[in-house]
Amino acid sequence: MTEAEAAISAASRASPRNWRLAGCLVGGALVVAAGPFILDTYSVNILIRGFLYALVALTVDILWGYTGILTFGQAAYFGIGAYATALIFTHVGFEPATILLAVGLALGVPALAGLVVGWLSFYPGSTPLYASVISLAFPIVVTQVIFSGGTFSGSSSGLVGYEAFDLSIEAWFWIVGAALLLAAGAAYAFVKSEMALLLVAIRDNEMRCAYLGIDAPRVKILLTAALATVAGFAGFGYANFSGVVAPEIAGFVFGTELVIYVALGGRGTLLGPLIGTVVIDAASSYLSGDLPYVWQLIVGLVFIVVIVALPNGLTPLLGRLWHAISGQHDRQRRAAPVLESQSMKAAPTTATLEIFGVSKSFGSLKVLEDITLSIVDGELVSLVGPNGAGKTTLMRCISDGRERSSGTVRVNGEDIGGLPPNRVVRLGLGRKFQTAGVFESLTVAECLRIAGTLRDKPSPRRPLHVLRLPEAARAVVETTGLVDSLLRQARLLSHGQKQALELAMVLALEPKIVLLDEPTAGLTNLERRQIGGILRELASRHRLAVILVEHDLDFVREISSRVVVLHQGRIVLDGAVEAVVGSKLIRDIYAGSGHG
Amino acid sequence: MADAAFAPTPPALEVRNLSGGYDDTLVLNGVTLAIGRGEILAVLGRNGMGKTTLLRTILGFLPPRAGSVFLFGREATGQAPDALVRSGIAYAPQEKAIFQDLSVRDNLRLAATSDHAFRDALPRIFELFPLFEHRLVQKAGTLSGGEQKMLMVARALMVRPRLLLIDEISEGLQPSVIAQIAAVLRSERDAGTAVLLIEQNVAFALAIANRWAVLKRGAIDDQGTIADETASRIAEHFAM
Amino acid sequence: MSLLLDVVTTAGVLFAVAMGLLVVFGVLKIINFAHGALLTLGAYAALVTTKLGISAWLAWPLAFVSGGALGLVVERLIVRPLYARPLDAILATWGLGIVISQVITLCFGREVQFARSPLSGTIAILGDTYSVYRLALLGVSMALGLLFAALIEGTRLGLSARAVIMNEDLARGLGIDTRRVRLLTFMIGCGLAALAGALITPLSSVDPNMGVPWLINAFMLVMVAGASFLSLALASLILGGAQVIVSTFVSPILGGMTIVLLAAVVLRLRPAGFGRD
Repeated sequence: MTEAEAAISAASRASPRNWRLAGCLVGGALVVAAGPFILDTYSVNILIRGFLYALVALTVDILWGYTGILTFGQAAYFGIGAYATALIFTHVGFEPATILLAVGLALGVPALAGLVVGWLSFYPGSTPLYASVISLAFPIVVTQVIFSGGTFSGSSSGLVGYEAFDLSIEAWFWIVGAALLLAAGAAYAFVKSEMALLLVAIRDNEMRCAYLGIDAPRVKILLTAALATVAGFAGFGYANFSGVVAPEIAGFVFGTELVIYVALGGRGTLLGPLIGTVVIDAASSYLSGDLPYVWQLIVGLVFIVVIVALPNGLTPLLGRLWHAISGQHDRQRRAAPVLESQSMKAAPTTATLEIFGVSKSFGSLKVLEDITLSIVDGELVSLVGPNGAGKTTLMRCISDGRERSSGTVRVNGEDIGGLPPNRVVRLGLGRKFQTAGVFESLTVAECLRIAGTLRDKPSPRRPLHVLRLPEAARAVVETTGLVDSLLRQARLLSHGQKQALELAMVLALEPKIVLLDEPTAGLTNLERRQIGGILRELASRHRLAVILVEHDLDFVREISSRVVVLHQGRIVLDGAVEAVVGSKLIRDIYAGSGHG
Repeated sequence: MADAAFAPTPPALEVRNLSGGYDDTLVLNGVTLAIGRGEILAVLGRNGMGKTTLLRTILGFLPPRAGSVFLFGREATGQAPDALVRSGIAYAPQEKAIFQDLSVRDNLRLAATSDHAFRDALPRIFELFPLFEHRLVQKAGTLSGGEQKMLMVARALMVRPRLLLIDEISEGLQPSVIAQIAAVLRSERDAGTAVLLIEQNVAFALAIANRWAVLKRGAIDDQGTIADETASRIAEHFAM
Repeated sequence: MSLLLDVVTTAGVLFAVAMGLLVVFGVLKIINFAHGALLTLGAYAALVTTKLGISAWLAWPLAFVSGGALGLVVERLIVRPLYARPLDAILATWGLGIVISQVITLCFGREVQFARSPLSGTIAILGDTYSVYRLALLGVSMALGLLFAALIEGTRLGLSARAVIMNEDLARGLGIDTRRVRLLTFMIGCGLAALAGALITPLSSVDPNMGVPWLINAFMLVMVAGASFLSLALASLILGGAQVIVSTFVSPILGGMTIVLLAAVVLRLRPAGFGRD
């Protein structure tokens, strides 16, 4: 731990947020301890069940509220855990060995199922809708499998009467309550950690993550499996407590109810879904007679209103009330992360980008034809040409091995073959897009932290304290003034600042080759001069190979060492700036009389 | 030629100090221009200077940040595109903006206000573009690039628009096709239609326009009427 | 032989049920999760005709009109604000489905009831006796499919709808009132859902939660079919046929999840489903 880190941890331990968290946990512990003495047996029963559901709701919130994956399937993992337990106790028996087996299956089978479902749902090119479709199909399949099990699985009546842990109702309340508090605490620590930033980054801009070398599908699959295990564990508890398991607990209706609880409580808040689940489930159980239908009706109506008008749920409204009363605002008290330089590369290496005979066709339409080009470190190459000449397509073919129709691309000596962007980036290439691809919900510091994921895995426990950036990235952050906005949310930055942030993010991985798509689009004069200086430095001082697509020909003339002109998919000119500037061909191409 | 702003009837299109862009980017920075009836204004400029953004902001696809748009004297700032188009404006966008999977006939039919108006307008279309007379059932996506652009112009003329907004129609076209389109635009102009022609092809623009303006970094940098020294003056804007 | 008839009549039923969902998904690009509840609404409209003692044929127009009217209200209040948030549109329409089901339960009670069929009895066909109504239903589904195909190809609304499906922005640039197109399409989609509900009641029974399994199957079929009626018909035939075969030869329970499983696998292997790329 460096000195800076030590100082920060000491300071953060005393921060007001940690006091609030401690307060919540203590308060929760008191409620759990006192519960059985204040409430009647019926209520205690209801609440225990509610606590177990709330545990599953927490997993839904992490998946949906934080990572943006709408899932109806968490109930299925809960049901699998419960059924695994009940089946073992019914058909094998209730002894220490079988109990261990039941626990193992209740955790293991959902984990395995989570991996399979994740593999089905998350792959390059999958859509959020498709993932939701799979999460819908999964519980249906599970319930049908249960139905088809006949007397073995209890079919539609379920399994009942198996021997399980025989504890008093108070003991159950305390154990389940404590488990819920522990889980909530762990979840809270997790969502404040660096790993959670990665989830938000994937939710905000998965393409940018790919171009930072992050394998987003893999992260989502592992997350699904991990949270499936948690749901399975809750299922184990349920099977033991209630003594009966029925197919409905694994069904998609229950799965959608969980989503409703999370939405009403407030997605992405953890506390909201927890309270929402317990309260709504308890309320549903209390009503009898005709009222259950009216109650469901009301819940449905409120749900519609929340989705349409209050996407953040009801709890944040209460949260704002609390802030108004207490007059506090957390963000201002937070210390900005400390900025440190750190380079991973031992000695400066050479950069080479070699492109041989690259072509790209869409059906019969030839967009790029036989492009051959070599670029080495220290060069600042501008790719120019009229609209439709194929410049951005060429960028795509260089950074994504699946794009080109023919030809070879070698990044730093390695053939990119058919590699997807997240693997090409690992060869030492960075790409900056025209529309600034940053993570809107994260702060500047958080964006930069995630940008370095490939070098420095985000911690699942610790929050962001120290920001380590390589020299080039740090130079960008300091020159453009971003260093004063480290705590600012990226969505609030000006266009020029976002462009600078994205450039710093791209440089965080210390690429040797940097591709930039129209870096001056929308910049003010001052910003354009700044970025021009930065790019020149990257080439001359940091010895990167810088390639940009540009329309601003004045800018190109000022900073480039070399200009490549693309026209109708072919390279028509490639040479030093002085040779290309003022050539009749360029004027003809742009003025239109060069049309064939 | 008199400045359109002082014409006795209100200009077909008047843009005052228009600013706007995408999300947080400011692309247009106070554009002011006017087009009178029966004239062609060519707006020239390199890529990224805001030409397409200008058209899309005028039409209401993008909300303006400041400034106003007047169509035939009435305020039209930020109104919905389909409403503006129905009031007599035709728009030929930059990308291949036809429905590839629909037939030539259906593409034209979509632009008409009713099937009746469609049938009435067909003879005129065939007169301007004879090639379509026998190609009505052909799928639009199978036409050549030049034919697709001609279809776009034909479609724009279906409703006898009072104002035509055309975005870089000449790009990628052979000279013969360009000449045909130029002839059509000239005859429309002579019939009283106002035309805003966005172009990178300076030669084409100067051949048919009455007036020209150069858009640079979101504002009008220079403008004038077509005269002898025009060509070289404009060329300077495109030199490196 | 009755197996073959089972396959085609089941395909017909699935097609009729999924049509409304396809229409909405194609034009508005959202999934109407209230589809199952609208189905139930239409089924209860049929029940109403039985209880009022009027002709059972009237159930069909009654269902279509009630569905369409409800669609008008829903589009303005719920669907339009969620135009840019398709996943939230799924959730909001699911909430709507809950509301509709509860209202139906409050009005009609929870028990299973039966509506009268406009056609009853069996007919001897191809060596077996088969339900007249099922065969008639197949004919109705095909007729509906042809009717809507004609509407979409022939009328201006159909043409506008196809334009909006292909490229909404371009359609607006041509002066097409896309908001109106979306509203009308949604109303028609809801009307079709309710009509399908009235059509299927004679096959079994009526209860407030009958719509849910149909919703899931229709949803998977639409995902696989893409945006064309033809591919929906194809999907109904292939997946519906698979369901019948599995139900008959393996087990009805596993048959119930055949469509869901097969559709998920097809989508994983070929994201465009049965439609063209």
